[in-house]
Amino acid sequence: MDQSTLSPTMIEARALSKHFDTEAGRVELFTGLDLEIARGESLAIIGRSGAGKSTLLSLLAGLDTPSSGSVSIDGHRIEALDDQQRAELRARKISFIFQSFHLLPELTALDNVRLPLEIRGTDNPEQDARQWLAEVGLGERTGHYPSQLSGGEQQRVAIARAFATRPSLLFADEPTGNLDEDTGGAIIDQLFRLNAQQETTLILITHDQELAMRCRRRLRLHNGVLTEV
Amino acid sequence: MPLLPRLALRQLRSQLRTTEWRALLLATWIAITLTTLLTLLGDRLERGLLRESANLLGADLVLSSSRPLSNERLDSISAHDVQTTPVVQFPSMISNPAATETPPMLTSVRAVESPYPLRGEILTQPAQGQALPGKGEAWVEARILEQLGLGIGDQLQLGYSQFRITAELISSPDRGSGFRSFSPQLLINRSDLEASGVLAPGSRANFRLLIAGTAEEIGALEAQLQPTLAEHERLLSLQLDQPLTGDTLGNALAYLKLAALTALLLSALTILLSLRRFSQQQYTRSALLLNLGLNPGQLLRIYLYQLLIAWVVLALLGLATAASLDSAVQSWLSRLLPQQLPQAAALAWLSGPALGLVMLILLGLPPILSLARVPVAHLLRGDTPPQDRRARLLQISCLVLLALTLLLFLRAPVAALILLALLLVGGVLFGYIAQAMLVRVAEPLARRLLLGRLLRLRLRQQRRWHRLQSAVIVLLLTLLAVVWISRADLLSEWRAKFPTDTPNYFVINIQPWQKSDLDRFMQANAIDSALYPMIRGRLTQLNGKPIRPQLTPDQLGDNTLRRELNLSWALDQPEHNELLAGHWWDDAPELAQISVEQDMMDDLGLKLGDRLGFDIGGQQVDAEITSIRGVEWTSFRPNFYVIFSPGALESYPSTWITSFRLDGERKRLATEMLQQFPSLTLIDIDQLLSQLATWLKRLGDSSAMVLGLTLVCGLILMAVTLLQALEQRRFEAALMQTLGASGEQTRRLDLLEFLLLGLVCGLLAGLSAELTLAGLHLALLHVEPKLHPWLWITLPALSSLFFVVTGFLIRRPLQLDQCYRLLKAQS
Ligand SMILES: Nc1ncnc2c1ncn2[C@@H]1O[C@H](COP(=O)(O)OP(=O)(O)OP(=O)(O)O)[C@@H](O)[C@H]1O
Ligand SMILES: [Mg+2]
Repeated sequence: MDQSTLSPTMIEARALSKHFDTEAGRVELFTGLDLEIARGESLAIIGRSGAGKSTLLSLLAGLDTPSSGSVSIDGHRIEALDDQQRAELRARKISFIFQSFHLLPELTALDNVRLPLEIRGTDNPEQDARQWLAEVGLGERTGHYPSQLSGGEQQRVAIARAFATRPSLLFADEPTGNLDEDTGGAIIDQLFRLNAQQETTLILITHDQELAMRCRRRLRLHNGVLTEV
Repeated sequence: MPLLPRLALRQLRSQLRTTEWRALLLATWIAITLTTLLTLLGDRLERGLLRESANLLGADLVLSSSRPLSNERLDSISAHDVQTTPVVQFPSMISNPAATETPPMLTSVRAVESPYPLRGEILTQPAQGQALPGKGEAWVEARILEQLGLGIGDQLQLGYSQFRITAELISSPDRGSGFRSFSPQLLINRSDLEASGVLAPGSRANFRLLIAGTAEEIGALEAQLQPTLAEHERLLSLQLDQPLTGDTLGNALAYLKLAALTALLLSALTILLSLRRFSQQQYTRSALLLNLGLNPGQLLRIYLYQLLIAWVVLALLGLATAASLDSAVQSWLSRLLPQQLPQAAALAWLSGPALGLVMLILLGLPPILSLARVPVAHLLRGDTPPQDRRARLLQISCLVLLALTLLLFLRAPVAALILLALLLVGGVLFGYIAQAMLVRVAEPLARRLLLGRLLRLRLRQQRRWHRLQSAVIVLLLTLLAVVWISRADLLSEWRAKFPTDTPNYFVINIQPWQKSDLDRFMQANAIDSALYPMIRGRLTQLNGKPIRPQLTPDQLGDNTLRRELNLSWALDQPEHNELLAGHWWDDAPELAQISVEQDMMDDLGLKLGDRLGFDIGGQQVDAEITSIRGVEWTSFRPNFYVIFSPGALESYPSTWITSFRLDGERKRLATEMLQQFPSLTLIDIDQLLSQLATWLKRLGDSSAMVLGLTLVCGLILMAVTLLQALEQRRFEAALMQTLGASGEQTRRLDLLEFLLLGLVCGLLAGLSAELTLAGLHLALLHVEPKLHPWLWITLPALSSLFFVVTGFLIRRPLQLDQCYRLLKAQS
């Protein structure tokens, strides 16, 4: 284990600013945001539509570059890394869950879960993938294609895919946004169960009050300012 | 303009910017152009050769015979109220007596007498009105003037006589059938025939009687003649037996049409895919329009108008393109065709646009109908509604209808059906084989390389696209390779197949009294050749009984029974024939002995020891089969089905034939021989072959043009499918990067995928090209198939290059910060 894993801070953002220059003028999302997220913590980001939650998430995940300020993930300063190193960092530590699942429609559930394992070149990817599908209760449906699965089942495959790489950091952007209340509830249960079991740091965006309440910490993004609620 | 067409026009105009509409328009344009062009050509050839065959025949009815017509025959015909005139046509070498170094030239000579022709007219320069060449005069075609360096007023040598050229023959009916109609033509007066000495008894010539009269008289005469025709006689009428169609030109056209089938199928596929994608993109828009109060009928009309407007523009464009291509082809062919082609019927111009419309409607209706039925709830759910059974049924029946239309258009339904099936089955097969090969290749890679493991998933994920892509590219490359190679190689391989000592001169019509002089000439000039007598006879008996009742209907149709056979006799076994069974002549036989060619033995079910009876000039000759010979028919040496032992046939009238080879300087011996023996018919095989070669080359050029259009179709199709896959690929690349892959990794994965796909497709194309070429060699040229090693290198290289270049041209680089946005946008 390298030095950084001992640090209690998982993500540290300093003086983070993001704006977009559009034809209609500059869109200022936020300026000078400071944020620290501890290892193993679960954090919900809430806020009005268009407040910039998804943008903030992609900055924290190192998928986007801030206009100014810095982000460190597990002790690594993102700005200092090149493309290859960022990809490695993502591969080692980070997983995503999306609102619209984003499974590859031409691959079976099993192959979808297997994909990130293959990217990392782990041993026995198939066995791991099977195990994770069983973990989310889809052990019998490994050969099914996304179109043959319900929305909730697809999101469970996505969850299996996210946890299969044993990430230390999991980002979820409105993971229940496309699901009905009951299914969403079940998905959330699963998410938190695995989160506790794997000691993952969970950062999620949600409009769902109930989901937000289950996180240890809640932050509201409003008019470019983050406040704890 | 009413609202609906206006909406359609707007919609069309805005969609012109999308790839699928551009592809659709281009594909339809090509289909219309190609169809129009081929129909125009076909129609003109048909009109030129069929509908004006009265002109071409020079009569309403022609009795054609390989022997002089009997007086009986002539009397029975003149009993009818018809006009007649006799014609003799024969091949002959002619030369320029003023320039002995110019090699002689093979021509087709027609000796005619007034009135001639009975239908149509002879065009000459200078014009001669209704006249015919006078005594000692000849009219010749431009090709003769060119090749022999002659002009109007010069003398030419034909047999023992010299003729003064008084006119250039521009066009004339009654050119005769088959190959002689393509030879340069020469017209002389019949009264000069005897003096020239070229036509002795037994000479190869075609004796015709041109007949003209009222339709009833002709009909009655035809009905009377038909059942009484002898083996050596044929009746040519306007409806029956067209001299040219069905032969070379008909075949050429059928070949071109079949070549076009691939292009049409590719266009259809492009249109199908474009429309499918178009309709998928229109789901939301349709649901919205329906939601706003349009009814399904109106929506259907909007989309139909849109297709129709596009069709009108494309039809005009296609017609213009076809017209200009048509005139190009016309100028290619004009120097080869006996006569200028007439204009095509106005109706022929409709075929292309009509086929284009059928294609658009049949391919467009199913997706458009499903658009009109989009549930408005789609707006809420945002998914693509599943296809129901009715929609699928409609789609299948439309495709079947389209296939039928194509078959109808190609007019050679059986050949087209076979080709269609071959292409479809071949395409599907190649698709699956390519995919299986890719998976095979990926397995070992996956064990060694991290990228290989990703490749394995990529192959699974892109399997449909790979199948489609490899099917199309394998078929295209096969076509390309086959046409490319067969254009040049088939002919040269065919020629190379003949050993260098293959004879290149054939001499026929050698009269018995010339034989010893000719032998002496040959010896004096060290020409290596053997003379064979040739006697015509008909096979009539088998083992003492008439042969016909002893044979099956199949055997009765055999060539050796239908026409007179050329019989020969020889003391020694011909060197170039192989003795397969039996033995050469016994010493003191009681019956004449014969050696029979193997195929004839097999076809007629004969065996050694059988006795055959021949009717030679009305007399019966019997002989026993004592040996079987293998004969190489394409060896350009005198070959016979039946060779007699010496003694049996000497008393019958015969002519002699021989063949020999002359190279370079020694070719002038042929000229000398002809000067010394003017009545011989010398056939220059090199000349014949180069005429054939010119034909093959033109055919190759025309098919190259069709192939070019096919390739364009193929490329458009590839571009459409690539572009359609592109969005999906971008999405996939974005996802892979959020899952931990680097941009570099996805790029390398793409490169590996395209490279392998290209290699596999290239190898498959090499294989199928070799198989096709081998088939062509065996079926058409009867030569040993051979491998083309460079195909196996160029094809994989070419297709890999193609995939990598197009793949990377179309692929826009994906920045990391775009990934998340792209994925968000998809929700
Ligand atoms: N590439 C871009 N260029 C210009 N503006 C952008 C870009 N990306 C995002 N925006 C703008 O930034 C704002 C925030 O977008 P973001 O997706 O982060 O919001 P959000 O809080 O996630 O909203 P929602 O809850 O609806 O998902 C929006 O107004 C959006 O239009
Ligand atoms: Mg968002």
